[in-house]
Amino acid sequence: MCRVLIVAFGNPLRCDDGLAWRAAEELSQQISDPDVRILTTHQLTPELSQTVSQASSVIFLDAARSGVPGEIVLTSLLPERPGSVFTHDFSPGGILNLSHNLYGRCPQATLASVCGECFEHGDSVSRTVEAALPSLVARIIELVKAAGQV
Amino acid sequence: MAERRTIVIDPVTRIEGHAKITLHLDEQGEVADARFHVTQFRGFEKLCEGRPFTEMPSLMARICGICPVSHLIASAKACDALLAVRIPPTADKLRRIFNMAQIVQSHALSVFHLSSPDLLLGMDADPAKSNLWGVYERDPKLARDGIRLRQFGQQIIERLGGKRIHPAWVVPGGVSEPLSQENRDEILAAIPEALKIAVRTLSWFKKISEGFREEIGSFGNFPSLFMGSVKEDGSITFYDGKIRVGDASGNLVADNLAAEHYADFLGEKVEPWSYLKSAYYKPKGYPEGIYRVGPLARLNVVDRCGTERADQELAEFKELQRAAVLSSFHYHQARLIEILYCVERLQQLLNDPEILSKHVRAEAKPNAFEGVGASEAPRGILFHHYKIDEQGLIRWANLIIATGQNNLAMNRSVLQVAKHFVRGNELLPGMLNRVEAVIRTYDPCLSCSTHAVGQMALQVQLLGPAGDLLTTARRP
Repeated sequence: MCRVLIVAFGNPLRCDDGLAWRAAEELSQQISDPDVRILTTHQLTPELSQTVSQASSVIFLDAARSGVPGEIVLTSLLPERPGSVFTHDFSPGGILNLSHNLYGRCPQATLASVCGECFEHGDSVSRTVEAALPSLVARIIELVKAAGQV
Repeated sequence: MAERRTIVIDPVTRIEGHAKITLHLDEQGEVADARFHVTQFRGFEKLCEGRPFTEMPSLMARICGICPVSHLIASAKACDALLAVRIPPTADKLRRIFNMAQIVQSHALSVFHLSSPDLLLGMDADPAKSNLWGVYERDPKLARDGIRLRQFGQQIIERLGGKRIHPAWVVPGGVSEPLSQENRDEILAAIPEALKIAVRTLSWFKKISEGFREEIGSFGNFPSLFMGSVKEDGSITFYDGKIRVGDASGNLVADNLAAEHYADFLGEKVEPWSYLKSAYYKPKGYPEGIYRVGPLARLNVVDRCGTERADQELAEFKELQRAAVLSSFHYHQARLIEILYCVERLQQLLNDPEILSKHVRAEAKPNAFEGVGASEAPRGILFHHYKIDEQGLIRWANLIIATGQNNLAMNRSVLQVAKHFVRGNELLPGMLNRVEAVIRTYDPCLSCSTHAVGQMALQVQLLGPAGDLLTTARRP
């Protein structure tokens, strides 16, 4: 069981959609606390709910499509029942819902997103997102510190 | 002029990939014909031309997000044939472990995530609730079991291959890294729980299947051939062996067929209404050579599994129908038996004294210009066939996937179910759900890179004879 779980998700082969992977790479170099676990994944799937249920605090990292490109938004999350009837596009709130209903625990959770501007095929992020990454990493580290981890 | 109407189910939900079904009605509103269309195009056979053959396993793994391991293994075996090497015994066993982990996680996805809403909530359940969330609410323990079993398979793949999806660990000549003792012990430690889940899910399934007698009788319940791989002693194998073909009476039609000679006994037909080719057994011709592959077919053609609990279940399974088990509804039970077998067999292989050997790869340069690799994927036999030039570049590739081999049977199954349940003058969601559910029994893997489109709404259109839209029903 870890105290802080960071879940970076997106597609690293779709330009800015892979920004969370980039941030996760940077975070793994800056955070050495074994109680902080960093996961990267393309999509949120039901299997993640068990891991989430075992954390005290969870930070989801994702790219956003709407907003000002490069803008960082932190949002507190609550469990939600998603509208989708399928298994491939679970939202962070949907994962929290499963965590609560299947495993009886719903950790405190935050979604940290950065608005992207390019989601075409490619393995590099746009300049705008590249410029925002250091700030994103710094804010995640602040969140982790606030959870008493670093 | 007689009015001919069409019902379109587009997309088919809770399957891997994108497809639609059309039901053609006659003037009385009865189903006259039905077709299962695969509406996506992948083109991997062409795009790999000109690439070095050594890239093929990694490239081919990208075909699928659910069963990349199957493509890795079939592709690596085709490359082994190009190298003309015998891979080290430990590499052979590690590949088997990898493949069975994949079977477990893929079968768990099919049973627990895709079909359990039908099985647990019923075929006539409110479409708005007939999904994973409905299952989670009705039976959280079953949901947790599904999640755990899928994790079990995924974690083995991750421990061996470095990542859950698209690992590149299986290479021409063997595998790239040996198994560490720590990883071996961690996997072994998880086996007792996986075994318990497999046993209790089978028990649950056999109990609830009694409530599906009408579906058992009409879900692809027709004579066909069955094809699967068997070891020399007639037991099940997912990695090698010879190919066996059985008929509906339980008789052997062919035995000891070599995968590299697949073109002698398998034909493929292209129909203009689908991107999915239809494979058939050549000696019987098209479409009389209709055959099924995958769990139902494998258990029909093997003499035994080779592990204690799975053999007990297999004996019971073979009693379900008088000769071969024909109903495609029984794919579900066969899938669960294969999960049980894999977990038992994984334990045996991981306890093998050779399994931690560091000698896991044979090195060679190409020694042949043509190679075929085959293995049993979750959905049936998978063939990869490559031709290379003197520089080792791919000049031609042919893939025969399991879902294509089930294409004729899926189409016939859709027609059988539609004729049995669908009345065009009074469309009810349960009727159309059964048409989809029979496709789910085959667990087709269509896109191999599964992702939902929007909300994966089920749209049913009733069209007039000139193609004019008469009415539309949309699933939430």
